[in-house]
Amino acid sequence: MNDETRDETHDGAHDEAHDDGTRVRGLWRQGLEVFVDNRLALVGVGIFVLLAAFSFLGPLFHDSDQVHTDLASVYLSPGTAGHPLGTDGVGYDQLGRLMLGGQTSIVVGLAAGLLATVVGTVWGAIAGFAGGWVDAVMMRVVDAMMSIPALFLFMLMAAIVTPTVPMLIVIIGAFAWLGPARLVRGEALTLRTREYVLAMRGMGGTGGRAVRRHIIPNAIGTVIVNATFQIADAILYVAYLSFLGLGVPPPAANWGGMLSDGLSDTFSGHWWLLYPPGIAIILIVLAFNFIGDGLRDVFEVRLRRR
Amino acid sequence: MSLLRLVDLSTDIALRRGAVHALDHVNLEVRQGETLGVVGESGSGKTMTVLSVMGLLPPGGRVVGGQILFDGRDLLAMKPEELRRVRGVEMGMVFQDPLTSLNPTMRIGAQVAEPLRVHQGVGKAEARERAIEILRRVGMPRPEKIVDDYPHQLSGGMRQRVVIAMALIRSPRLLIADEPTTALDVTTQRQILELIDDLREEFKMAVILVTHDLGVIASRADRVAVMYAGRVVETATTEELFRAPRHRYTEALMHALPESAQGKLYSIPGLPPDLSRPLTGCRFAPRCRHATDACRTTDVQLVQAAEEHLYACLHPVTEPVAFAPRGAGEPREAAGSGTILSVRELVKEYDAGGKGRVSAVAGVSFEVKAGETLGIVGESGCGKSTVGRLVAGLEEPTGGQIVLDGTDIAGLDRRARRRMHREVQLMFQDSYAAMNPRMRIDGILTEPLEIQRVGDQAARRARVTRLLDQVGLPARALERYPHEFSGGQLQRIGLARSLALEPRLIVADEPVSALDVSIQAQVLNLMRDLQSELGLSYVFISHDLSVVDYMADRIAVMYLGKLVEIGPASQVVRAARHPYTQALIDAVPSPDPGHAPSPATAIRGELPSALNPPTGCRFRTRCPLAQEICATEPPLQGGPHQVACHFPLRPEAAVSAGAAPAGAG
Amino acid sequence: MARYLLTRLGQALVIVVLVTLITFVILHFLPGGAARAILGKEATLEQIAAFNHEMGYDRPLWEQYALYLQRLVHGDLGYSFQLNQSVAEAISQRLPKTMLLSLASTALAVVVAIPLGVVQAVRRNKWPDYTINALSLLAYATPIFFMGLMMIILFSQVWPVLPPEAPQGFTLGEVLADPAGLVLPTVTLAVLTVAVYSRYVRSSMVDNLNENYVRTARSKGLSEGRVIVGHTLRNGLFPVITLLGMYLPALFSGALVVERLFNYPGMGLLFWQSALKRDYPILLGVTLLISVATVLGALVADILYAAVDPRVRLKASRS
Repeated sequence: MNDETRDETHDGAHDEAHDDGTRVRGLWRQGLEVFVDNRLALVGVGIFVLLAAFSFLGPLFHDSDQVHTDLASVYLSPGTAGHPLGTDGVGYDQLGRLMLGGQTSIVVGLAAGLLATVVGTVWGAIAGFAGGWVDAVMMRVVDAMMSIPALFLFMLMAAIVTPTVPMLIVIIGAFAWLGPARLVRGEALTLRTREYVLAMRGMGGTGGRAVRRHIIPNAIGTVIVNATFQIADAILYVAYLSFLGLGVPPPAANWGGMLSDGLSDTFSGHWWLLYPPGIAIILIVLAFNFIGDGLRDVFEVRLRRR
Repeated sequence: MSLLRLVDLSTDIALRRGAVHALDHVNLEVRQGETLGVVGESGSGKTMTVLSVMGLLPPGGRVVGGQILFDGRDLLAMKPEELRRVRGVEMGMVFQDPLTSLNPTMRIGAQVAEPLRVHQGVGKAEARERAIEILRRVGMPRPEKIVDDYPHQLSGGMRQRVVIAMALIRSPRLLIADEPTTALDVTTQRQILELIDDLREEFKMAVILVTHDLGVIASRADRVAVMYAGRVVETATTEELFRAPRHRYTEALMHALPESAQGKLYSIPGLPPDLSRPLTGCRFAPRCRHATDACRTTDVQLVQAAEEHLYACLHPVTEPVAFAPRGAGEPREAAGSGTILSVRELVKEYDAGGKGRVSAVAGVSFEVKAGETLGIVGESGCGKSTVGRLVAGLEEPTGGQIVLDGTDIAGLDRRARRRMHREVQLMFQDSYAAMNPRMRIDGILTEPLEIQRVGDQAARRARVTRLLDQVGLPARALERYPHEFSGGQLQRIGLARSLALEPRLIVADEPVSALDVSIQAQVLNLMRDLQSELGLSYVFISHDLSVVDYMADRIAVMYLGKLVEIGPASQVVRAARHPYTQALIDAVPSPDPGHAPSPATAIRGELPSALNPPTGCRFRTRCPLAQEICATEPPLQGGPHQVACHFPLRPEAAVSAGAAPAGAG
Repeated sequence: MARYLLTRLGQALVIVVLVTLITFVILHFLPGGAARAILGKEATLEQIAAFNHEMGYDRPLWEQYALYLQRLVHGDLGYSFQLNQSVAEAISQRLPKTMLLSLASTALAVVVAIPLGVVQAVRRNKWPDYTINALSLLAYATPIFFMGLMMIILFSQVWPVLPPEAPQGFTLGEVLADPAGLVLPTVTLAVLTVAVYSRYVRSSMVDNLNENYVRTARSKGLSEGRVIVGHTLRNGLFPVITLLGMYLPALFSGALVVERLFNYPGMGLLFWQSALKRDYPILLGVTLLISVATVLGALVADILYAAVDPRVRLKASRS
């Protein structure tokens, strides 16, 4: 790119600093404006809010028994009285089950994604700041764990301990942190050498201050953006584990498990058992990806200059 | 006979919202065999003009009006293939940054000969021969070998030669050079500019030389076009323009040059206009001291002053601009007494990962007195920035002493070390990079006070407001973020931050190198005003000799980690004793067209590596005067004007009144 | 270059050792202890004691680890009492088939993804870019088994041209003898890969198109096609080589799901069956082997990258 265009495109901002009475906008406000500008990100937020409301508030409006099987009313078609989306092979109401499954998928996704982010951030930050052999050892551990394909590891763990919802969160969280760890370490390494950190040292500031005031605030954007992708991935992992027969056992449900159960019903024409959970998963994963892309714009734009 | 003529050329760059009108009815003419200099500051449209001609506008860029007549034919009306041929064969372009202008994964020869292969269907073997031939012509050593190398194996100056060779291999009729030497050191700049000059004659081509540097224009161009805010505001022959500029902007630009300083620099207030908004009247009017209401409302057109001289100004300059010959500036008031900083035999080496040690600073000694400015000048890689960081306590020296206000800083404990940072502060070249982008200006300015636990909240707040006032920014700026400011404003904020702790010494590392001339003058003046107001000392580090000359009381010249000369500024610049200093001075293009550098002092070759540097005098490998004895290290000797050379160019001048003798304290 | 190779090789070795350490640790955390987990619930105390002694599980931990390593070096991955077969043998029967699936789908993905990514980069922020981007996001968000099922419905049910199940041959040759059966598993596995690769190619190409050297190339009057093919394409695709290595873990994970869905007799299916039966020797053996394969793959990719990119290749000779 050419220096001149860049300068010119930023003159607007410069002028604002001169004009009397221009609104002073905080970083969060500017960020919000950018986020709102990204229509897909808004769509993502919309989808997420709708799906979350459906899962958590839906049962208030559509009451169904999700604990006891009802073998008298299996494979009821959608539209049957009391079962707008029909029932499954053991008589659970499909609409109610989608709500229940959504709760698990969303909770496990959020919790495992956040757990992975927190663990990874701490690990990566320590490695990045410490540097030297500490960094080398910590990162080789990450390399080693990363070279074990995640699903193999999850299944190995799931074969050793019986999966429950909290266990799923721990298993996924315990291995999904590797990506964030690498990312944060890279950020820490570059931020450490930024001139503003150098400037602060020139004022007599300590390493602790550098971390608190300069490195964490600047790395947080990357971490938040990554967290949304971690959540999306965690939701997919739950689905894969269910498909591989190591998900949460019934009567608990999640969209991935419902989808895999639906697979066996494909050829018997019970489409309502297959497509609703499938579409729900795709939608929620897309939603988090859209949100992540929008947030990335926000954090990049704040630094956009030159 | 004009080779290229731009008629009412207008170019827009589309933005997410609206567009920047980068060029507005630009009229220009280049004749066969002449060099047209296009000069302007960033945002003036000088680069957009040549990119429009070459069809290389950035994404969103589009020519929206006018004609580009090359040899009488309008390029904008041509078919794409024909256009590519004209641009590829009859024009050649040299870009600003030689480091990124070459394809990193393609061999030099293949890149240089590519136009021949594409446009003339030349075979592989012949293309290689032609590439070697042209590489030899642009002064490339061992072209048969270089032709098979990759760009990253060459230095910046060598890469620029490759780019020039690439442009010339088609024997173009027009060569466009966009800031061809801005990224290079002065001595390399001189080599490249001379090369372009020679080649112009040999190839009988026309040259458009785009630059922000009036000095480069003055010494190389036949005619000049001055651009401001997307318009040509004045064109004239070089001699006429520098002797009798008519436009007030041209005049202001010349007055803002450190070279022309008589006493204080003239600084143009404000910033260039925002070209995405509709503009009326003369675009320079808001910053012009001669502007009247008419200027703000009339669309000022170019009018003829003389046969070759056009300008667009309602209140043109009538009196000629006098260029002060170097040395005419008053010697500055003698600095106060007392030494604030004393550096003795400073050494800094870096480990080069098993390949040995890089000698960045090798035994440098100097002193800085209270209230004095010591300029450190040298080319990239000479160690001047490292010296600055060592003095500011950001790095630990490998050897030697740094004595600050009578205390050796090496022996300080933690607490004393923190206090030490109150005395010395660093000012950066790129203040944007040196400010946390997520902190507001008040946070940035308060940080040094917080670290040093100075005052309570209210006191800090008051101090910060006062600091902003001192650097000429409104208190409103406190609530804003760094990215909302221009380069010059950021430099002011950077200076304010350095001043927060009331230090006695500020180490300023290239503080104005990234700024345009008019903004540079603002910052330099501010630094000088604050110095006399607060009794500060500066260590002013720069590659730009004229800026250092303007700012410094004494100047130290560094080459490859060594101090080669140090003395009173006027003496070092006007009566250099070291051959390297002289070469550096002669390489600086002077804005006085009458001034011609002497060819004898031009240095050739490349800077040796700091890994295993030459023994003895480190300059001897490139020195025109070098003899056997130079293999032994020359000591730094002399009175106030010391030199480290076995064959100093001249004896030390008699101590002049006003220059503070360094040794006699 | 030699220096780079050595460092990289050393790193890979360290990682492999760490992986063995991880599997060794897991072995000791198996429910009921390693011996019971391996021998099964019916094993008597004598059998367990004998087994522990034979494997050295009654010795200090570090000695156990040394013995474990020693056995690994000799190719002894353990014994599956459920399959009544050594782990190495069980794996070696299935490994080639998994490699076939992975290689075929990667090759397909690369061939499809590169043009897509290039088109996106060249027409960035125009409709081809948006369309491809939307499709790849959709592919990314769809669980791979759901995607596979859609394929089965489409190409075996609605328009029955392909079999819904993978070839069931015992050897690689038997599998290859039924190429039609290979199509759906390969394509399914490739879809996700295409989504990931095309995004990567796009961003790499966009970065390169913004480089100054592209402007230099244009200034020579080259046609747009020549600029892209002759200059940016090569530079833009070099990093894709390293992606081949980095993507391996995800590829193998995907293969696991695809093999289960199409009942493809590879390592993934073996792993899945063993997980349901809690056949730990197989689980650990496969995990170890697949990890080593990943490390080796990444190593090969990095070396390849270093060999083709002159910036890395000639680093040593830089002055």
